[in-house]
Amino acid sequence: MFRFSDVLTLTLVRATIRMSTPILLAALGVIVTELAAITNVGIEGIMLVSAFMAVAASYWSGSWIVGILAAVAAGVLIAALMALIHLRFKANVLVAGIAVNMFSLAFTRFLLVNWFGVAGSFYSPRISPIPRINLSILAAHPVLDTLFNNYNLMDYLGIVLVFVFHFLIYKTVWGLRLRFTGVHPLAVETAGVNVTVKKLQALLISGVLGGLAGAHLSLGYTTQFIENMTNGRGFIGVAAMYFGGISPITTWLASLFFGFTEGVGARLQNLGFPSQFMLMLPYVATVVAITFSMIRQQRRETDKQPF
Amino acid sequence: MKLNLLDRLDKLQAPLNVLVAVLIGFIIGTGLMLVEGHNIGEAYTALFNGAFSGRFNFGGTLERFVPLLLSGLAFAISSKASVFNVGVEGQLYFGAMAAAYFGYTIVGLPSFLHITLVLLLAGLAGALWALIPGFLRAAYRVNEVCTTIMLNYVAIYFTSYIVNHLFKNPHIGVPQTPNIQESARLARILMPSRANIGVYIALGIVLFFIWLMDYTTLGYKIKTVGLNPQFATYAGFQARSIMVGAMVLSGFIGGITGAIQVLGIHGYFLDNFSKSLGFDGIMVALLARNNLKVLPFVAFFLAALKSGAVGMERFTGIPRELIGIMEAVIILFAAAEAIIVIRRRLSYQKGGAEVV
Repeated sequence: MFRFSDVLTLTLVRATIRMSTPILLAALGVIVTELAAITNVGIEGIMLVSAFMAVAASYWSGSWIVGILAAVAAGVLIAALMALIHLRFKANVLVAGIAVNMFSLAFTRFLLVNWFGVAGSFYSPRISPIPRINLSILAAHPVLDTLFNNYNLMDYLGIVLVFVFHFLIYKTVWGLRLRFTGVHPLAVETAGVNVTVKKLQALLISGVLGGLAGAHLSLGYTTQFIENMTNGRGFIGVAAMYFGGISPITTWLASLFFGFTEGVGARLQNLGFPSQFMLMLPYVATVVAITFSMIRQQRRETDKQPF
Repeated sequence: MKLNLLDRLDKLQAPLNVLVAVLIGFIIGTGLMLVEGHNIGEAYTALFNGAFSGRFNFGGTLERFVPLLLSGLAFAISSKASVFNVGVEGQLYFGAMAAAYFGYTIVGLPSFLHITLVLLLAGLAGALWALIPGFLRAAYRVNEVCTTIMLNYVAIYFTSYIVNHLFKNPHIGVPQTPNIQESARLARILMPSRANIGVYIALGIVLFFIWLMDYTTLGYKIKTVGLNPQFATYAGFQARSIMVGAMVLSGFIGGITGAIQVLGIHGYFLDNFSKSLGFDGIMVALLARNNLKVLPFVAFFLAALKSGAVGMERFTGIPRELIGIMEAVIILFAAAEAIIVIRRRLSYQKGGAEVV
């Protein structure tokens, strides 16, 4: 017998937040690039290489901090590669992103065989994971403890970054210029800002965020590297970005929604119910949301025209 | 005369860029082999043999050639109208599911009719799925790249639901549909490989679309809309409906791509079977610069690389991922439109004076 109480439990909140973090970090990265008119589907590849480097560095150094640093460095490098192809060599940005994803998949598979002599996945007790944070204030209260305590450091960091980027994008000159790089590049150039530099900055920042997302996947969410372990989470980040209207706080909510459907989907599957409709919900919702926002925008435009 | 020369060089630029990309790819690949301490001669011999020597290996190349060619064609057709159909993957899933369903349920037709009917229905399934993003783009200017990426997931989950809960082969633990009827199977060529007459069907479809694009009004309209939508509207074409049309055609080919995998390779629909066949097409279209006549050569080249990599791994121990890296480097640089810019440099030097 199907009971909602089996699905909707307090731990579902945990699952939702945990599953939303990699999506959120990726989504923040693509928000920054999207504002500069770069639809960065390459975030998937950035995350994958970062996840690999995080595991490799953590394994060799025994330190998760080194792991995160290596992941961020790798993310920035892959983002720089994308910048080279897109900004310098004028490749279509979508194609550059997809090519970067192909490269990342092949590259990590190659290194997996080459450095660790394994195919498929790599796990070792020597990999040092990113720690969970235990807030003793919450520990006393059982419900609050289940809901909000003992998350991975990266889960908290993701939420902090939402507000950091909200501030950067809407309250600083840098953010204003970034937003107008996408809306009206000519105006930005006229104001004496180099659009290409702006786009490069955006890409490199998405490299940092993609790097964090990757490190979280392989050192936080799990403690191992699995071939193609991003498994479309970068693309889901792009979806969350669109669904959240290319703005950090609403995108956070969108990421939580994606995490929620994933969490409910996993439970339904365990109970033997079809999970597919739950899992496709965020994608359908994204398409519907974008369509409505475009219809609204067009109404506004036609209202303005006198004839 | 000189202008003429410049024009000719201009036409050379795109293939030159691709050539340079391939060269860079091979240099990096060879470099990696050297660093790894492998014998280059042995490696390339194994790569070549893995792609071409014997029925099984050559069959393996042809087997990979078909989906690469068709999904490349699908992407190229929509690109010609400036619509980017990143949703070939999803259309392929619906086409494959339709092929598995009608290949199993329709009984008693002669093989030729059965196959033709199934291919058309699968194409239709893909086309209908592509109609959604096409319509949204044309009617409300909804970015089709975003919607097609989203709809890919919907298609994968939806077909996964069908194969897990509605149309599952009850005798097997794996989520797959029942085997299609013998009459729907595409005959194998080059046994024991899985290559099949899908090769001829795919080439036939490409020929048809070359004809459609170069010799019919519809093709002309699609190309015009892609090059200059304002002019197309001025000339009286319904630019929007032509965009939808290009998307639907693209989805139709995507559906057939999936169908040929089912009818020719597997014989059933397997949950989550494609693993980015539809995305690979973007690469093929890119390397061919959407030139339909070049598509088969590019698809064959990439198929040979993929197939050869397997043989190379088996005989020399060089991981096939190395070829994967090589391929990705080629694609990365082939995407770049400005590695070599002949025209600009020449016209800077000489052109200026000539124009005056």
